[in-house]
Amino acid sequence: MSERYQHRQGLIAQFISENRGPLLVTPALAVLVVMNIFPLLWSFGLSFFKYRANRIKEPEFVWFKNYVKVLNDPNVWDRFQTTAMVVSIDVLLQLVVGFLLAMLFEKSFPGRRVLLMLVLTPMMLSFVAVGAFFRYYYEPTFGLLSQAIKAITGETYILLATPEGAIAGIIFADMWMWSPFVMLLVLAGLVSVPKHLYEAAEIDRTSAWRRFWTITFPYIRGLLLLAILFRTIEAFKLFDVVWIITEGGPGTSTETIAIYVYRVAFQYFKTSQSAALGYILLFAVIVLTNLYLFFVRQRAAEEGG
Amino acid sequence: MARRREIGKAGWRRTAVTAAISFIYFFPVLWIILTAFKSHTDALATPPKFLFSPTLDNFVAVFSRAYQRGGDAVDTKFDLFFFNSIFIAGTSVLIALIIGTLAAYAFSRWPLKGNDLYMFIILTTRMLPPIIVIIPIFLMFRVTGLAGSYVGIILLYSAFNLPFTIWMMKSFFDEIPTEVEDAARVDGSSEIKIFFKICLPQVKAGIAATAVFGLILTWNEYLFALLLTGIETRTVPVAMATAIGGDIGVRWGLLAAIETLFLIPVVLVTFLLQNQLLRGVTFGTIKR
Amino acid sequence: MKLFKKGKLALLAGAMAMAVSGAFGSFALAADVTINMAVPDWPPTRIMQDLANKHYKPKSGNNVTISLDFIPWPNYYEKLAASLTSGEEKYQMAVSDSQWLGAFIEGGYYMKLNKFIDADPELQAIFKDLHPNLVASYSTYPHKTDNFYGFPQMPDVLVTYYRSDLFCDAGEQSAFKAKYGYKLACTPAEMSDTDWDQVRDFGEFFRRSSGDSLAGQTLNDDFYGIAYQAGIGYDFNTMQINGFIWQHGANIWDETKAPTGQALGVVNSPTAVKAFEHYLSLLEFMPPVVKTGTMDIFKTDELFREGKVAWNIQWIGFGESAISAETSKVADGTDFAQMPGLRNDDGSITRWSNIGGQPFVLTTWNSDLVTQESVDFVKWWLSSDTQHMFAAAGGQSGLQSVHTTDAYMDYRPWNHAFGPQLNWQKDVWHIPEFFELLVQQQQTFDKAITGQISAQEALDSIAVFQDELLREAGHIE
Repeated sequence: MSERYQHRQGLIAQFISENRGPLLVTPALAVLVVMNIFPLLWSFGLSFFKYRANRIKEPEFVWFKNYVKVLNDPNVWDRFQTTAMVVSIDVLLQLVVGFLLAMLFEKSFPGRRVLLMLVLTPMMLSFVAVGAFFRYYYEPTFGLLSQAIKAITGETYILLATPEGAIAGIIFADMWMWSPFVMLLVLAGLVSVPKHLYEAAEIDRTSAWRRFWTITFPYIRGLLLLAILFRTIEAFKLFDVVWIITEGGPGTSTETIAIYVYRVAFQYFKTSQSAALGYILLFAVIVLTNLYLFFVRQRAAEEGG
Repeated sequence: MARRREIGKAGWRRTAVTAAISFIYFFPVLWIILTAFKSHTDALATPPKFLFSPTLDNFVAVFSRAYQRGGDAVDTKFDLFFFNSIFIAGTSVLIALIIGTLAAYAFSRWPLKGNDLYMFIILTTRMLPPIIVIIPIFLMFRVTGLAGSYVGIILLYSAFNLPFTIWMMKSFFDEIPTEVEDAARVDGSSEIKIFFKICLPQVKAGIAATAVFGLILTWNEYLFALLLTGIETRTVPVAMATAIGGDIGVRWGLLAAIETLFLIPVVLVTFLLQNQLLRGVTFGTIKR
Repeated sequence: MKLFKKGKLALLAGAMAMAVSGAFGSFALAADVTINMAVPDWPPTRIMQDLANKHYKPKSGNNVTISLDFIPWPNYYEKLAASLTSGEEKYQMAVSDSQWLGAFIEGGYYMKLNKFIDADPELQAIFKDLHPNLVASYSTYPHKTDNFYGFPQMPDVLVTYYRSDLFCDAGEQSAFKAKYGYKLACTPAEMSDTDWDQVRDFGEFFRRSSGDSLAGQTLNDDFYGIAYQAGIGYDFNTMQINGFIWQHGANIWDETKAPTGQALGVVNSPTAVKAFEHYLSLLEFMPPVVKTGTMDIFKTDELFREGKVAWNIQWIGFGESAISAETSKVADGTDFAQMPGLRNDDGSITRWSNIGGQPFVLTTWNSDLVTQESVDFVKWWLSSDTQHMFAAAGGQSGLQSVHTTDAYMDYRPWNHAFGPQLNWQKDVWHIPEFFELLVQQQQTFDKAITGQISAQEALDSIAVFQDELLREAGHIE
């Protein structure tokens, strides 16, 4: 009895030591499969049916009809264009501002920890508060921006009155909120530049500009690419701030694809159509993810070599 | 392997410029905090007021206020919402940290067949806009009855945090040299002992950074929280919207007070773990 | 595996508990019933909770708990929709905007009430006493049929808010008379007798710049004459534009005429275009934020309470905060009147307006006991005493036997406008495709409000969109 028990114990121990990797990975994968992958497959299946969550009717299999419908929807392409424009300008500005901020904090000085916190706070704010307060900052009667401009020019300034202004307003708010993220990335790169390289450059009396391109930039290049992809993927999710500041207006000029998916799914309750739209978006995200990994691996290869 | 460079010292001019720019950058936040201390008459005054007599009324109103003119003050349940936010964010970050660290350790030490593919799939789930995931999760919650429960939202946030945790922690494990572990193995130490006594202490910084980043990402999550929490499990970002709309546009003082209070925990944690943050933000893919 | 076992155990325990409670339930003297109700978070629902806690004693003798889930207004729709369609069956009752009736009735979430009404003379009396326009908008689906679903919780209409301290100021009175040749309205009765041409004059007359004088005082900021909603969010321009369209004699797509009622040629009829142009023509006298297309009911409310505008059209639901010194800088000088309309040749005024407010509804997944308690609660809520208490605390009553009494007129300064205005209410669509119609219309109106397209272009685009959508959905054949 006890021998058999020991034998069994031994088998279990052997099984565990032979399958350590899979066993340790299992809990994490289980959570991901249940909470992410399973629902995704479910909606993938659903995207081939005709189904609305607010109707009693049974789902009806319709093949690719939802995909055809989504791809033929001019609104989808319009919202994609808006999103692409917002994302590209937004990310570019975040890079520039984030980079400049990182340069400021590169060196140590008294109060650095506290000042760094001041710059980091925007990304800790709630979207509701950022949305409501930026809408107020832009508002022509009470808003700080308009008041400041009026004090200088004497004219009432209405930023959100034109599609261009509204897009600028959205981008500015999001850029302000997330540039600190880029700053931290760049800062991580900056502090990883080996000091002896700078010392060598100083002996060679290299110009600051050249020093930047030959020493600093190679160390942050990978991080910058990373920041671009990271923020691009994040900006694709742009929803709450737009929803509160402009609600997609004037007209539909600031309606992002994320807002459109939300409307289709929750306001129109075209459940299966929104799933199809989701999958088309997912395809775009996977392409971006692969690009991201491609750049990172290339960088790793460069470093290794 | 390059060693971390010692940080240079900045001159006073650079310090002054940095301080000035930091304050300008912080100004929109400062205005929110100032508004939290303003009375109703001062909140929207034109021209805007920088000097005013501060009041704590807004902070009191966060927790208890009268909903009808001349009526009694009623408990707003915000103490519960603050608890929920801390409990849900804390628990889900912790769960993600525990199972994510185990998985990362495995991915790092005993690569599976198709390790890269697994890592990629995990990353993909993190990269999904929540708007896509919400639809199927919503349908799944509908079937399993998880809607409105702590378990549902905590599991969801754990999954939300996992990919990030795994990628971060894997890179930290990748970085520590395996010689010590191998020596311990030869000495006959158990795997459990090696993991807890040798590996974990070396990645303490990584754990701290991962926790902070997970917390920042979870703290203000809005869409999942709005749709999947119930009366008793509501978090602050959702409840905060109560200061907007209804019988009055925006209760500026109230909104600002809630946001100010809500900032405190996450700012504190971030400040305490600031040094680790610089490391964490590279998402674990950058090796030094 | 363990989890599953535990789950089974829990299920079993639950089933046993249910069996036990079922068995003893019939013997017990008083059953415990909890009615969870989804409600938007604002005074009318807070007052209801307060009154229920203090005064509600169920006739059945059961221990009934009325538990309101206060959900912030900005996300109320999404939250309610998610809860209903997710099948969590959390709410036994809900406060619903009347326009959502179709979407949620078709999903099988709202309960049809006819059998209760047929069996209950008290309920029949209540329905008879309710203003017919409220029954049509809050209760019937399909619209204006004899299928009943809801009861008024907080009926609401658009009324005029104005600064009586400015309109009655002697200096302003004489200056206005000199400029326009007629008396500037001052009392609520005079203000209730105004038409849009007068409103235009108010807008022009009270437009002052920083440094100008207003009612004897020098302004330190720009001041504007008039405001009404012109915001892209939710229904924050449609609600006002519909009033203009109906007043001019044009129409929106009429769901009661389906499937023969048309959108093309009706929605964009020449009269409708004229009505929309009329709406647009007054925007130039409004605060500058109107140019952004985001001047919703909350913004106009804020502008009014901060003393930046002399005259505003607003839901009655905002009245309390306008006359309360804690939230309003113009609490003392504010008065109320009926919403303006178009003047007819005989001097009368056509005042069609879009109804607001919310009914409450019962959900379909409740036991007979819970349903009966819910109906009893509704009957208590719509009893004369409760309605008077509600009105005294700042709410509105849809019962004609309540809102026509002298006591009712004294509760709040806007109450005199409520009853007469109720006679002029119509409603926007109630069909399940409501949100698709609304979003496209809001966005297209917004383009016209921000000057991107003309009124004609806007209405043409809306008509084409509605025709296509309604045909596909089978509402037009």
